[in-house]
Amino acid sequence: MPDPHPAAALVTSLARRGVSLELPTLDLCFLAALQLRADHAAVASFQEDQLFDIFQQVVVLTNEGAGGTRSSKRATHVVRRLRDQRLLVRVDGAGVVRSGEYALTRLATGIVAFYLEDEALTRESLDVLAGTLTACLLAVREAARTASEPEAWRAHVVGPLRVTLFELAGGIERRQRGFDLQQETFQRDISALLTADWFGAVERCTSLLDTTSAVLHELNDMLLRHSYRFSELLQEVREIAEGAGHAEAEHAARGAIEQVDRIAAWGAARQRAWSDYHDWVHRYLRDVVRLDPSRTLIHRLREQLAGRGGKAYALTVANAPAIRLLRQAIATPDAVPVRRPKKEREPKLDAEIASDPDAALTTSIRNALAEGARGLAELTARVAEPDASVDARFRTAGKVAQIVPQIVAIASTEERAWVAAGEGIVVEEWSLGSDERLGPRGPNDPAADEGKGEDDAP
Amino acid sequence: MSMNTSRFATLEDVIVDDAFPDLDLALRRGRHVDRDDAAWFALLVDAQDYLEPLYRRYGCELVQKSDGYFYLLPTLDKLGRRHLSPAEMLVGQALALLYLEPVTVETGAIVSREQVLSHLAGIVGSDVLLGALNPKRKRYDERAAAETVRAKVEGALRRLATLGFVDALDETRYRMRSPLLRFAEPLRGAGSAAAHLESLVASGEIALREDESEDPVQEEKAHEEEGLGDTDEAEPSP
Repeated sequence: MPDPHPAAALVTSLARRGVSLELPTLDLCFLAALQLRADHAAVASFQEDQLFDIFQQVVVLTNEGAGGTRSSKRATHVVRRLRDQRLLVRVDGAGVVRSGEYALTRLATGIVAFYLEDEALTRESLDVLAGTLTACLLAVREAARTASEPEAWRAHVVGPLRVTLFELAGGIERRQRGFDLQQETFQRDISALLTADWFGAVERCTSLLDTTSAVLHELNDMLLRHSYRFSELLQEVREIAEGAGHAEAEHAARGAIEQVDRIAAWGAARQRAWSDYHDWVHRYLRDVVRLDPSRTLIHRLREQLAGRGGKAYALTVANAPAIRLLRQAIATPDAVPVRRPKKEREPKLDAEIASDPDAALTTSIRNALAEGARGLAELTARVAEPDASVDARFRTAGKVAQIVPQIVAIASTEERAWVAAGEGIVVEEWSLGSDERLGPRGPNDPAADEGKGEDDAP
Repeated sequence: MSMNTSRFATLEDVIVDDAFPDLDLALRRGRHVDRDDAAWFALLVDAQDYLEPLYRRYGCELVQKSDGYFYLLPTLDKLGRRHLSPAEMLVGQALALLYLEPVTVETGAIVSREQVLSHLAGIVGSDVLLGALNPKRKRYDERAAAETVRAKVEGALRRLATLGFVDALDETRYRMRSPLLRFAEPLRGAGSAAAHLESLVASGEIALREDESEDPVQEEKAHEEEGLGDTDEAEPSP
């Protein structure tokens, strides 16, 4: 599956690799000198001696030799730096066996070409490129009409579309970028002309503007005419490929059509942008330069700003208030003032009748004793509700052991047996006397002490 | 402009034009309209003969300058009017100067807030600028005063943008427009500068700041609170 964001992936990859270029003027001049020597002497590579020789000449020409470092040593460093940045490549493959042979890389020739070659789009260059491209497309169309074998499609249709057309159309696009660069320089030139000779530059500026407008207009016309022809031929190739079921050729034709559309769109966009700029500068020349030929206004305004120009003034401008939209009146009831409810400082106490939580149990115990219960186990079994949980009955057994000594006298032997008092509850057996007491006994009652803590359940 | 070439046959045709309500409101709020407001400008050029008498009835003049822009100038008190604040005038004049400089041709009249500030400081002088925009503060902290200057310049630029003198392209960049030449208008003319100034005052184009030192603090405060200059708003007569 193709990457949906190839540009993002490529940029990320470049960032990950830490790609960078550091090219001081001396290095750039050295590269340019190598390129010029290669063109002049028709050589593709340089021996080490030649490199050092050219570097020496560049150092002399650029007056960069004032540092005192020996030239050969500097040359070694520069060559190393250029090789590290893949601007210069060793092509002999001899390693340390003998001195090397070096050539400029595509990156280096591209950089040098940018500075040395004037590759702006002109009428002549566009004519040549467009003519070649048309001839190439005509040949591709004929090849597509006669191609029957896949090999023939690949060799005479897909190949030329991908290589020749790409190169030629790329050449036009490159020159378009060169033209863009020229426009930027042109804007600086107009500004410099006006700065140097304010009113005297008007005619030259107007002439420059009109000439450039005419050139751009002509280029745009040519681009439109040629791109229409290119698109027509490419469309034919695409239809033939579609008819023949050759998807690769159809795809290549489609890609070429997009590239041609881009070329045509450039012309229209630049024409539009230039038209705006052209109008604006003309207006500036008319309204500003022509009306103030001696730059008196600029001088006066500067003086005014600096506070040396007389009375200060303020412009008058209209200032009608925005229309007020009145809202409908709504009768609102008188608002009750917000108050916090009063709080009592001390919470009021509720009157409650004191109740003995053990009263019911005490009554049950008395009833059980009256019915004849004579042992603690029996008494506990009677008092504890048989349906209650073991925990509840356990608590009841404890309470019973606490209350019983307060009601009756207890007789206990030294060896007290553990007796079941209902399911799951076992107590130490006490013999309960018949003399029921009237009230609870004091803490010093030995019988009470004896009963305490002996209600341990299993 | 002749009525014969106009696309409008009557004032009613002008008023029912889709662009008229917005244009009318903008003009009444002090907006200057130039060729960059293509639709409004075309409407004003075509309907000028109908709109001039209309606005005159409201006590205003629809002014067209030879530099290629329109604006509404109140001459009576039927519509509200105001005078630009000292900060707005300072920034407006600095912008006008920048607009007149040849470098404008290179930049396409685009200028940043920092450029305006440095230009102002270069011409007026940093100390004078700090003093001018921090009036009545005999002793001030330089850092705080610089901050005040930046804020005032930014506010002035914003207000000048609403008046159509500049276009705000983003937070910090502005495109200068031809109405900025109005700031230089009082300095134009070959005759006596004082006489020219007097005639502009008489026509209501400008107001002289007779006694700047009178109370500039109150004046600036008023501008900041209202976001406006000296307001001279009047209730329309019945």
